[in-house]
Amino acid sequence: MTNLRKPGFVLGLIIIAVAIVASLAPQLLATHDPFESVATDRLLPPSAQYLFGTDNLGRDLYSRVIYGAALSLLSASLAVVVGVVVGAIVGLISGFVGGRTDFIIMRFVDVLIAVPGVLLALIVVASLGFGPVSLALGVGLGAAGSFARVMRSQVLRIRSEEYVEAARTLGVRSPAILVQHVLPNAARPVIAMAALEMGTAILSVSALTFLGFGAPPPAPEWGALVSAGRDYVATNPGLSIIPGAVILVVVLAVNRVARSIGGDE
Amino acid sequence: MTQVKAWAGYLLPKLGQFLFVVVATYTLVFVLVHFLPGDPLIAALAAKGGASTVIDPAELDALRVQYGLDGTLWQQYFGHLIAAAQGDLGISIATGVPVTEMIGRAFPFSVQIASLALLFGVTSAVLITFLAYAAPWPWLRQLLLQIPPFGIAVPAFLSGLLLISVFAFTLGWLPSAGARSFDAAILPAITLALPVGALFFQVFSSAVLEAQNSPYVFTAVAKGVPPRRIFTKHLLRNALLPSITILGLLIGYLAGGTAVVETVFSRDGIGRMTVNAVLARDINVIQGVVLVVGAIYALVNLLVDVAYGFIDPRTRIGGGVPSRARLGAKK
Repeated sequence: MTNLRKPGFVLGLIIIAVAIVASLAPQLLATHDPFESVATDRLLPPSAQYLFGTDNLGRDLYSRVIYGAALSLLSASLAVVVGVVVGAIVGLISGFVGGRTDFIIMRFVDVLIAVPGVLLALIVVASLGFGPVSLALGVGLGAAGSFARVMRSQVLRIRSEEYVEAARTLGVRSPAILVQHVLPNAARPVIAMAALEMGTAILSVSALTFLGFGAPPPAPEWGALVSAGRDYVATNPGLSIIPGAVILVVVLAVNRVARSIGGDE
Repeated sequence: MTQVKAWAGYLLPKLGQFLFVVVATYTLVFVLVHFLPGDPLIAALAAKGGASTVIDPAELDALRVQYGLDGTLWQQYFGHLIAAAQGDLGISIATGVPVTEMIGRAFPFSVQIASLALLFGVTSAVLITFLAYAAPWPWLRQLLLQIPPFGIAVPAFLSGLLLISVFAFTLGWLPSAGARSFDAAILPAITLALPVGALFFQVFSSAVLEAQNSPYVFTAVAKGVPPRRIFTKHLLRNALLPSITILGLLIGYLAGGTAVVETVFSRDGIGRMTVNAVLARDINVIQGVVLVVGAIYALVNLLVDVAYGFIDPRTRIGGGVPSRARLGAKK
């Protein structure tokens, strides 16, 4: 609750709330049809009518950014979910089983962490094809290694706690101990890390859509908007810098709120 | 003689670890490529000739042999591994050029901006830490410490385009694209330096802050040693170990970052080559690049481990177990 008195935290929450509304109900915030081009209104600077200006086809940039939130934020969220679920399962098994299995799994986790996330995502995208879902899978896989490591260290800590030994003495089976005792107690650091990972995932997803591996062209993904505006940097820099700044603001907001969640413990 | 033995005992396991990481990286990529749905060769040919490309089966088989995608999975796995150990990474499906040759040609361009970025990033991180350490007012210190988290949140394409817009188009000081001159490397290097420097800053500044609260710094301050001398003699030295450790991680960041930066600045290099390979679904090139980057990462970590042995003898004597006497003395 003390967080609510910090202006940075509150501002972060407001930005996140707007971003969520934009991705779930873009029609509430958009002022124009994001796909409609007005031939006479091309490459206009920001104005009261077109808040962020218009692009080379005369489409309203503001509305395109609003409609792009759904694609960009949903793939980033999916990436975090993939990373958490895959990482948590691997870490849980590795830490709980222990011994040689643990050793072998963790060496592969080391490698997963060693290969740069972007390259890992590129392999997945090249194999599965382009699009928001394969992007999310690629980015999520890149993050899974660190989640596995955190989860495993939590499991190792909890495994030797008295309540787990008590449950074992009482004859509770391993899967039941995992679900009832280990998982709930290990969840908190993993959730805090997932919140921090969200900012990174938004950055990775927008970088990959910037490179052209997202949904095909008319889709207003944030990274794709920046990329489309690149040809006009000399004359209309706002076309790519405004969507880029939107990404930056959202990432800063997510990181700020995530840090408070993590620091709450 | 015992010295040699101690070093061998220290280095041999590290060398084994290095080889393991390289082989495991290769294995991970191989598993991903071959167990994700879809035929890599057909995808690449479709990307080359359009979605409606029709290839007759006999020709397809010939192409499989040519690109090394024939035989059982085990044959491919070991065949490519042995070939890679001999420096042969196969042939690009999109261009027909050997992958080793493509990487060799693109590599110097990426190394140029990556090493410059490392230099910029590390220098500014040390500078900001020193300014924050020496800042006379708490608000200035807080402000300085806020800069690096910002560096992590800025997308590389945004900082790159901003730099192009200001320094290339508005001021006209530096070129916006290309890789032919040294000038052309400055803006990409700064772009790449932002996240790298920010990452380095996190580790470096926390190590400095930790050392700052130690008894020896307390003593030095009490003796009246000037702040700049404390920073260089006590804080910098003790922050060296954690800073070197993160170097390996930074190399990974640099390798990933070049993909976006080289695209923004239309520069030749490993990153742009990889992006083009993904666009062409050219799996041979991507595999080659990941293997090379993984090997470099492992090599840097090996060098870091060796450097550790030189810098901090505690990690070396007695086969990696810190000497009790020294540890006890430290406490």
